[in-house]
Amino acid sequence: MTTRVVLVRPWRDARVGSSCCGGGDARHGICFDERVDISTEHDAEKDLVAQVYLRLRDELPDVDVQIVGAENTAYLVPTVFRAVHRRRGVRAALAEVNRATTAGSVLFNGERLGDVITLGAGGVVKEVRRRVAQIAG
Amino acid sequence: MPAIVVAAVVGVLFFLGYRYYSAYLANRIYALDPAFVTPAHQLTDGVDYVPTNKHVVFGHHFTSVAGAAPIVGPAIAVFWGWGPALAWIVLGTIFAAGVHDFGSLAVSLRHRARNIGSIAHDVISTRARTLFLLIIFFLLTLVNAVFAVVIGNLFVANPGAVIPIVVEIPIAIFIGQYIYKTRSAALVPSLVGVALLYALIWVGQQYPVDIAPLSEAIGIDNPRNLWVILLFAYTFVASRLPVWMLLQPRDYINSHQLFIALGVIGLGMLVGWNQIVAPVVNDVPADSPSIFPFLFITIACGAISGFHSLVSSGTTAKQIDKETDARYVGYMGAVGEGSLATGAVLAATAGVVASRADWDALYPDFNTASGGAVGNFVNGVAVFANNLLIPLDLAVIFAAVVVISFAATTMDTGVRLQRYIVQEIAEVAGWHRLARNLTWASLVAVAVPLAMALIPGGGDAGYTFGVLWRLFGTTNQLTAGLALTVVAVWVLRMKRNPLPAVVPLVFLLAMTTWALFIQFWDFVEAEGRSERFVLAPLDGIIFVLALWLIVEAAMALRKGAARREYDDMGSPLDADVDTGEARQ
Repeated sequence: MTTRVVLVRPWRDARVGSSCCGGGDARHGICFDERVDISTEHDAEKDLVAQVYLRLRDELPDVDVQIVGAENTAYLVPTVFRAVHRRRGVRAALAEVNRATTAGSVLFNGERLGDVITLGAGGVVKEVRRRVAQIAG
Repeated sequence: MPAIVVAAVVGVLFFLGYRYYSAYLANRIYALDPAFVTPAHQLTDGVDYVPTNKHVVFGHHFTSVAGAAPIVGPAIAVFWGWGPALAWIVLGTIFAAGVHDFGSLAVSLRHRARNIGSIAHDVISTRARTLFLLIIFFLLTLVNAVFAVVIGNLFVANPGAVIPIVVEIPIAIFIGQYIYKTRSAALVPSLVGVALLYALIWVGQQYPVDIAPLSEAIGIDNPRNLWVILLFAYTFVASRLPVWMLLQPRDYINSHQLFIALGVIGLGMLVGWNQIVAPVVNDVPADSPSIFPFLFITIACGAISGFHSLVSSGTTAKQIDKETDARYVGYMGAVGEGSLATGAVLAATAGVVASRADWDALYPDFNTASGGAVGNFVNGVAVFANNLLIPLDLAVIFAAVVVISFAATTMDTGVRLQRYIVQEIAEVAGWHRLARNLTWASLVAVAVPLAMALIPGGGDAGYTFGVLWRLFGTTNQLTAGLALTVVAVWVLRMKRNPLPAVVPLVFLLAMTTWALFIQFWDFVEAEGRSERFVLAPLDGIIFVLALWLIVEAAMALRKGAARREYDDMGSPLDADVDTGEARQ
């Protein structure tokens, strides 16, 4: 089984706008040289998620790492439910589904380990490494 | 014929389109290579460039492109009969939108995930960048104008929807703050937000808000116009807020609503076994716009939407893990939008009324069809909901709330994007103070579409809306034309068959220029001052942009046949062609 770590984007790293002809993070589809001022929309937490992401990929290349928006229920809900339901039943799976949508969450095979702020980049890598070793052992 | 059977047939056709035609495009035309190192891998930064599972990318991509626009056009276009409307949606989705959305993504992947405007600058000409900005400026102007009119009309027709929609704003802000400050899970609060919204439907029904007396008291004859002014005042403020504060939590609530609405439409259709009562081909009055070319600009989103190229090339391309994933994400995005449009056709032909005579009363002429289209969709969905034992009067408000929520989100983001465009154009023109002043840029972004929504507002509501909608359709098709030109030139320079892109390109440009030409003379010969002095010049400008695009496309294709700037797999041979790294 592939070991998968999902990092949930920070809440302020907002990038989805629904609706045709207005949706998406379309500023990237419009602006040529990023000249428009989007500083009010920048969030330092996304740099931390990026750091965690890059370290995980660098130090644990066999682990599949994904970054997902908290609002991407079409992916998060079924993925987390399937992963947890097998081991811990429906109620626990539903609770885990809800917890998984916490911005900044770190999910290891569907289970929430914590969030990137509390764990920090080093903490996430250490925890994931420990879990991987557990599976291998 | 039962609506659910038609939906099933369309589903099968879309499946075949994905299974065979998109495979042909992937293997023979775009030459996708599973070993190609995508920009997400080349430039991984964990922020924008992130190799991502294709289902995750599709989730983001689809919510970015699905919304109210593919509902409105089809609900108007059934005026010509459900057969032509559905045929254009199915053929357009399979052979035009699929090629366009998938192609924009594929070409962007080979250009370091740069956006279609930047790539057009390189593969078409330096002028193409200005052309791109102008087309998008008019596209967003008309998007914001038509959706303001849509919401205004729905508020006037469904005063019970006002309270839920207005109160949704503070609910969304509260949820956003709550999730951010408490670092709590987002799912349950957002579901509570949906539940509150639906509870407010009952409140709205008890306390409908009619602003006609206020409108009259302040000297605005049409209450819709007062709503339009209030909506633009709101979007001016909303577009200045960070995305996470209002737009994101409201979108989150809307994403649940999308699933609920799709479930209600599908299940309600199945349970009620509603029959399509509209004619396959309608015998329209002699003075109606002709099916050629107007059907093909009335249904833009749902058959092909140029806006998708902005999402595909600017954002989605940065997250594609394997190049071969582009087929699933790009083509299926188009299929998803086509499915929404099919739902709109069925709601407006099977849901809304029970007999042919009733349907004829709703679609007696083009202006009535245009003015009533969104209302017909709302009432159609309400009938499907009623099949599931939801009381009809509540179901109508529910459906209106869903449509208004999507339209309002489109306006929120549309005005924000328009501000970016104003800033970009100001930079290109050298007006640096405007480019860097958010307040002035936002004012321009609001004032131009506000004027568009109000200037022809004195006339018949259906006429006003129909005119704005058709102008919007032309600019959306021109955006698609620009993206298809880029795709065609790229394919040609790879020495592959450009016809899958050239055929829809030629068709779209022919329909668009033809429609613009007819409309121009209609406006010039009209008696109203707004037609002669506002709509005719606007139509003329868009017509010139269309001709400009045709010339650029022809020159680029001619040049493309002679030059070879890409290897067999579509990557630029000359490093100068690909300067994306510096730009991004």
